[in-house]
Amino acid sequence: MVQRLMQAVLVVSLLGAVYMIVTMTVAGDRRLLPGGQTTDAHHQLEMACETCHGKSVFAGAEAAEKALNKNCRQCHEDELKAARDSHSRKRFRNPRMAQYWDLLDARRCTSCHIEHRPEITRAGAVTVAMDFCVACHSEGEQDIRTTRASHAGLDFTTCASAGCHNFHDNQALFEDFLLAHAGRPEPVRPAVHALSARYLARPVSADKALGREDAVAPPHALAEPGALDHWVESGHAPAGINCTDCHVPRPARDAPDTEALTHWIDVPQMGVCMECHKPQARTFVLGRHGMRQHPRIAKPRNTDSESGRAVPAWMVRWLRDPTVPAAMTVGEARLPMHADADPSSSLGCSTCHRAHALDMARAAVNACASCHDDAHTRSYFDSPHHALWLREQAGEAPPGSGVSCASCHMPKLEYRGQVRTNHNQNDNLRPNEKMIRSVCLDCHSLGFSLDALADAALIRQNFAGRPRVHVPSIDWAIARSLSNPEPPEN
Amino acid sequence: MRKIAAIAGIMWGIGAAMTGAAASEGMPYEKVTDMLYQVMSANREVYTRVVVQRLTVDAKVLTASEHFEDDAALPLPSQMFRFVAEEVLDNTEDFSYSLLSLHPINKKNGPATDLERQGLEHVANAPGENFYGEEELGGERYFSAVYPDYAVVEACVQCHNNHKDSPRKDLSVGEVMGGVVIRIPLD
Repeated sequence: MVQRLMQAVLVVSLLGAVYMIVTMTVAGDRRLLPGGQTTDAHHQLEMACETCHGKSVFAGAEAAEKALNKNCRQCHEDELKAARDSHSRKRFRNPRMAQYWDLLDARRCTSCHIEHRPEITRAGAVTVAMDFCVACHSEGEQDIRTTRASHAGLDFTTCASAGCHNFHDNQALFEDFLLAHAGRPEPVRPAVHALSARYLARPVSADKALGREDAVAPPHALAEPGALDHWVESGHAPAGINCTDCHVPRPARDAPDTEALTHWIDVPQMGVCMECHKPQARTFVLGRHGMRQHPRIAKPRNTDSESGRAVPAWMVRWLRDPTVPAAMTVGEARLPMHADADPSSSLGCSTCHRAHALDMARAAVNACASCHDDAHTRSYFDSPHHALWLREQAGEAPPGSGVSCASCHMPKLEYRGQVRTNHNQNDNLRPNEKMIRSVCLDCHSLGFSLDALADAALIRQNFAGRPRVHVPSIDWAIARSLSNPEPPEN
Repeated sequence: MRKIAAIAGIMWGIGAAMTGAAASEGMPYEKVTDMLYQVMSANREVYTRVVVQRLTVDAKVLTASEHFEDDAALPLPSQMFRFVAEEVLDNTEDFSYSLLSLHPINKKNGPATDLERQGLEHVANAPGENFYGEEELGGERYFSAVYPDYAVVEACVQCHNNHKDSPRKDLSVGEVMGGVVIRIPLD
């Protein structure tokens, strides 16, 4: 009996080993292999291991880590550049920084962000201890406790957790910025988000405007309830975008109408939207809603078994790499979702924007709240921000004075004179001080913004109330400037 | 940033050619760092004179500011120098360089190694002389050269003397403010 049991264990172990070797080196679903859970964002692409780990399974440890770090940068480098990274890799590559390499090697992302370690992973996918600043800022001229009187008795666990410093992005936290905003009064009410107001007031040319009679579509599409009305009221008809511009593939669009309509597609794919809305698409694939369409996600490995020559068909299915689904679905979300939200609902342009209707209000609030079901989202509807939003929607307050979910999480950005919506809704979330410049300061002082964003309970209440936390950084900056004033310029 | 990348590219090209030449034809490291310094120094002078001086002082159409992004201003010449140095490091480890001082406004630009301190003291105390040496950093040996960095115009002096974080408030034009440190791995 014992012998048979041992034989069974041996067979199972051998099969397991074969499975591991084959899936590691050839193809197959590697999510069954041992390894910790990935972080909340990366779990969307964990079936495409090469996206992070590179293609060489037999690389040595050093080469593998180099490949891993290179792949981190491929996706995240632009974000770090935009953040004016305080601890950039290139700065630490200088050999004069060698003394810090053994303390906390800032040349490698993996020094602080190790994947598959959920038990030690904090917000921002950080896996080092909260007092990581102690490694470099506790000795010599970098000892902040001796160079800044205000920091003398501080614990290193508070550097990056109290709303004062971040490792990468300190654009709204550096001393001169604090001083420049110190003492500025709260903006006059009703405050208006300047870029939102500009966006809403942007002129629309009537030169190419189309009317109901201009619509080119097959009878069944024209008969769809509301579709024609929605199109006329949308931005598409005034801009001269006809039905065939979206529902007919590009080569056939320029053909005469009767010929073009033979190529009609009832439900065009998202790529059609992306043909014209490129800036929105570029930012969409950077956030968690659209990252499955990021161009850097590795394709499935090719296998000879695909041809069916060497391996039976049942094994072909087993040996095939799982393909990363085209879009994230509600059912795969790790954040709390509404129980009645369709788990198979996938995220594309028309998930938030209706196919024909220009319902920006829905896209800015109700679309978010139809899926997300957390305290912050639920509290929004009782918050001062929502009250302002309702007033703007009712025409009782100026354009740009309302605050929707999108106002903060998908802020308007200016690029070369054009105002556009950032469709990466994660861009300013972590650390949340990234929100200060692009969002908060239009309506609030810097001091209030710092305090509010450091108050976790207030965030859960969606800012209904006053901050019960005070971040002293502005006070300390003022005190230091008074004790060591700059002489006036000659 | 495109301009920074272009300058970095040119300097990287020159640097790669020079360090390659050093290995294959036996050009002394000292000669290589001297040549690199000439390129850096010329770039800096041209940016200061043709861009910053012309647009801020002569034409008065722009300003130069430490917080140039927020102020929609030109980067200061020393910032430009450091941006290019970092851009080079993004592309190659064949050589590196830094603008340092014994009395820096930002502490991270103070001497970090014994050789840096020795070299900065040497160029400050021996006008017109450079400093050359070897050092081991991170398990690798480097040829390191230090060149004096002078306060060439009044603006350099005023900015340093008036800055709240500057350890020295008595700098004058013509004085050595710090040094440019260039390193090439010896292996």
